[in-house]
Amino acid sequence: MPFIVLLIGLCAGVLVGLLGIGGGVLLVPAMVHMLHMDQHAAQGTSLFVLLPPIGLGALLEYRKKGDVDLRAGIFCAIGMLFGGYIGGLIAVPMSSARLTQWFGVFLMISALLLWGKASKPAPPPRLAISPEGQP
Amino acid sequence: MKKTIGFLLAGVVGGIGSGMFGIGGGIVLVPIFGLLLAFDQHKAQGTSLVALIPPTGLLAVIAYAKAGYVFWLTGALLIPGLFLGGILGAKLANRINPRRMRQVFAVLLFLLGAWQAFGASKR
Repeated sequence: MPFIVLLIGLCAGVLVGLLGIGGGVLLVPAMVHMLHMDQHAAQGTSLFVLLPPIGLGALLEYRKKGDVDLRAGIFCAIGMLFGGYIGGLIAVPMSSARLTQWFGVFLMISALLLWGKASKPAPPPRLAISPEGQP
Repeated sequence: MKKTIGFLLAGVVGGIGSGMFGIGGGIVLVPIFGLLLAFDQHKAQGTSLVALIPPTGLLAVIAYAKAGYVFWLTGALLIPGLFLGGILGAKLANRINPRRMRQVFAVLLFLLGAWQAFGASKR
């Protein structure tokens, strides 16, 4: 049993580095289906796992190539602290079955976004919020 | 200034996803950086990882823990794999074609999502 848990962690970790995400999208379904935890417990445990800086090793790899915008990341983190609390308050009172459905819908939307991003390599910077070096 | 507000808002949106679904939020941040803020893919991913370093989910964990929804031991066992896997994945991202990889992952994610969404209604 602990071996399976370690393996799930490793698989989710590869996604952390490969896609720049937290890995929770893999951890939550894996805990629900392989460890038979209920949806709320899987989500709460996943959030706990993501508290330590598990992405630090991956971040340093990206930093070697200069692919990091520290300022953007830090401001984002501040926003996430509060957003996370709001999300937690929404999810905790929901029924586990309903939450699982919402999670499924969320995964499908994420998948579509990810697909869109993968097939569109360089979108033109035309929005009010532009990348570094532009007014 | 506008940019800063954009980053903060991206964080709030990512955070709501994070707290609601127990995830890191990167899956929301990377597309926002890439599609809305016009970062290139590697930079979007690297920057998303910055946002995941501080314990941004702390308030959310507290909300879940109060309701008894955190399995501490299982969680602790998952952490070393995530850290090591992260380095491995980043090295891979710098070598292989991440675009194809993302498409494969997107398909898997979609199927998993469909399974969750429609499977849950039968319970």
